[in-house]
Amino acid sequence: MTELLKVQALTKSYQQKGYWLNRKRITVLDSVSFTIEAHKTLAIIGETGSGKSTLARLLVGAEPASSGNIYLNGQELKSGSYKHRCQHIRMIFQDSGTTLNPSLTIQELLDEPLKLNTPFNEKKRTELIRMTLQKVGLLGDHMNFYPHMFSGGQKQRISLARAIILQPQVVILDEALASLDPSLRSQMINLLLDLQQQMGLAYILISHNLGIIRHFSDEIMVLSQGKVIECGNTQEIMTKPQHKTTQKLMLNQSFQLRVKNRYKS
Amino acid sequence: MARDKIYLEEIFPSPFMQLWLIFRSTPVAMVGFSCFIFLIILAIFGPVLAPHSAIEGQLNMPLLPPAWHDDGNVSYLLGTDELGRDMLSRLMYGTSLTFGLSFIVVIISLVVGVLIGSLSALTSGVKASFLNHFLDVILSIPSLLLAIIIVAILGPGISNTVWAVVMVLIPQFVHITRYAVKEEFRKDYVLASRLDGAGPFRILSYSILPNIVDRIMSQATLAQSAAILDIATLGFLGLGAQIPLPEWGATLANGLDLFYIAPWTVYLPGLAILFAVVATNLVGEGIRHALKMRKER
Amino acid sequence: MNLLDIRNLSIELISNGKNIIAVDKVSLSMKEGEVRGLVGESGSGKSLLAQAIVAVLDDKWHVHADRFHWRGIDLLRLSMPERKAILSRDIAMIFQEPMACLDPTTTVGEQLAEAIDSSQLSGFFWQKQQQRRKAVIKLLHKVGIKDHSVCIKSYPHQLTEALCQRVMIAIALARRPILLIADEPTAAMENTNQGQIFRLLSSLNQLKNMAILLISHDLENITHWTNTITVMYSGQFVEAGTTEQIFSKAMHPYTQALVDSSPMANQHLPAKSRLMTLPGSIPILQHLPIGCRLGPRCPRAQQDCVKAPSVSNFHGHKVSCHFPLLLSPKAKKSKLQKAKSQKLSKVSND
Repeated sequence: MTELLKVQALTKSYQQKGYWLNRKRITVLDSVSFTIEAHKTLAIIGETGSGKSTLARLLVGAEPASSGNIYLNGQELKSGSYKHRCQHIRMIFQDSGTTLNPSLTIQELLDEPLKLNTPFNEKKRTELIRMTLQKVGLLGDHMNFYPHMFSGGQKQRISLARAIILQPQVVILDEALASLDPSLRSQMINLLLDLQQQMGLAYILISHNLGIIRHFSDEIMVLSQGKVIECGNTQEIMTKPQHKTTQKLMLNQSFQLRVKNRYKS
Repeated sequence: MARDKIYLEEIFPSPFMQLWLIFRSTPVAMVGFSCFIFLIILAIFGPVLAPHSAIEGQLNMPLLPPAWHDDGNVSYLLGTDELGRDMLSRLMYGTSLTFGLSFIVVIISLVVGVLIGSLSALTSGVKASFLNHFLDVILSIPSLLLAIIIVAILGPGISNTVWAVVMVLIPQFVHITRYAVKEEFRKDYVLASRLDGAGPFRILSYSILPNIVDRIMSQATLAQSAAILDIATLGFLGLGAQIPLPEWGATLANGLDLFYIAPWTVYLPGLAILFAVVATNLVGEGIRHALKMRKER
Repeated sequence: MNLLDIRNLSIELISNGKNIIAVDKVSLSMKEGEVRGLVGESGSGKSLLAQAIVAVLDDKWHVHADRFHWRGIDLLRLSMPERKAILSRDIAMIFQEPMACLDPTTTVGEQLAEAIDSSQLSGFFWQKQQQRRKAVIKLLHKVGIKDHSVCIKSYPHQLTEALCQRVMIAIALARRPILLIADEPTAAMENTNQGQIFRLLSSLNQLKNMAILLISHDLENITHWTNTITVMYSGQFVEAGTTEQIFSKAMHPYTQALVDSSPMANQHLPAKSRLMTLPGSIPILQHLPIGCRLGPRCPRAQQDCVKAPSVSNFHGHKVSCHFPLLLSPKAKKSKLQKAKSQKLSKVSND
């Protein structure tokens, strides 16, 4: 499988706000490198403050990296060039309450990326919006509704529609499934798996829930304080974690799992 | 594209429509709103509708009491002042001066304040601080005193009153806009919009402004009641509208000498000012209440 | 003796002439020292139920029940102030986002000192200050905060979420309650912190014999810590039983779907295969289905499901379904007999 996304030595540091003479330089990400292929999912785990969200923002282009390169299909992505990047890498946010603009209808919401990045006329755009809404499991008529009329699960679907409407190749899920109820979470996972098959997407999943990660991802990358401490196949890392931090993370989940096995048998 | 209604009994309102529906169901706010609309119509059409001239008086009918008194005359419904000018016509002309001008004052200061506030929110660092705070010195002086100072510099006259009150009201809008815009920037949909490739002005007009309009509107009603009082006070002090303009404050000051023989020349303009301020405040309260109710839903 | 005995509790919302039944005939009972889990997704009415037990609902909600006993006292016959007095003495509640539930303008030490009941202190009033301080330190030690001096002087925003939750538990313990209701205490936390809080609750349960009602939307999270579980869906009672019965021998299709959606049950599924889910989504309050509210989504729904099902009891495992799963032939026969006897009694009543 050819590499879809390649990240090399990505670093992000900034100066702490404080007195002019007393500012420290904080390194949030320290030389992170990894690769992703199409149809595959990479999960990134780590405790809070380990730089996961920063990595997501760097990849999608919300902030410029201090150093390092990102290559998409062999081409280097420069920071600040949203128009090129947004067609290939998209992101879904966590808090479904603030991720949709409350004063726009769904049609206007989904129209915006199309208007800014594609040369289609209005009829074609409406057609595309209707098709995308149906793909994520909503009705085409939903495009006249406002965001406050939808439930949390439906809002995440609309977020997903906004992410895939430009036919990207990489979708970043920044804790997108954390706030959903378990049954809605399963529905969303099924939907994501279907889309991955149909469109050949690569996912980057940032999550705390190891059960979902075990089911959904092919590879895991463990971050701690900005550095990659472990990276490899899901099965291997979950059963035989090498580093101490990874072991601590796995232990917490497996403790609950092991005891539950008692009930299953 | 036509709206397809799936469930006929439900309507799907936008957030602004929601605000209007809640506003409409509060009776007190609707009373204030209808008085407000009445005043606006009077301000625009007052000079046309007034029965007599407000400036030239009939010198042979001075100090007629209002029509419900024994000596009153029905053709001068609210009586006349010492120069024989009809009080009703004077009040109607005065609406377009006091109330109408306060409306214009609020709109000008709103536009300027929102512009400066948004610029200040889009930038950061020293530039933003400067934009945010350079008008704060105006906030530290009481608004009336500042208006008096400005009129003392520029000279009396109603157009200078307008500039004075505009200057006084701008800083409030700057602060409110800046904090509202900064708060909106933290939300995820603005980031999503930015990532789609939208320029800063497009973000401002599509993503941010529709969501802060309600807060700015409620601040505008507060500013308007302050503006009405300021213009009337300046007129009362003789610094604003000059003779013979029938501005409410000036009319009140005029009638003050004759209070014991012709009290209606004092209390009628006073009631008019009270009416305008109460109507504006009721509308403002209604908007704030509707905002709170909409958030709770 | 049952600590809490609630039978057929309903909570209605009357607005604009419409009567919305948010919680529909739910029964709950708790024994002393028991840890019961109350599981339901959003919209299931579990928080409403907890608030109704502690009697803190607004006037716009109407609560009625067939039976509402607390330690043998019938609460329905008492007036509201008397009911509140008894409940606030014996029941304590902790909530979801602890940092938002603590007063941000006073230090943690002051809030804890405020929560301590003056009847527990004795002596002259200058001695009471000293005793209050000592009691605060003791409470903090009880919840596992060793260095109390830093904690007492800090404000809530200076502490982490897990520490704030411990402080909330300490405040709840100050009045020595008999029942602690935990309304999604760990929803905003990571896995490691969740484990700590649950361990703390479990130790409190064992040491002080304090009953705990653990409310959560995640079934697998709490199965390790609870003795019994009650499942609710969209305001209706679905199933109740011991943890093992619920998890391994679920009788209601909804419980089965919940168990299937937990990642633990999916361990044997191959990676990246489709998960078993119920189609559709949770109904909103304005459009509740009649009868069994799972009807539109249930794979086993039939015509009988437009009538609300009654609760059947199989050796302590209560389920509310017309067509439960895993019904053994003996249980089926007893169910049929019960239905027949109910029909006869209805006929004789008319």
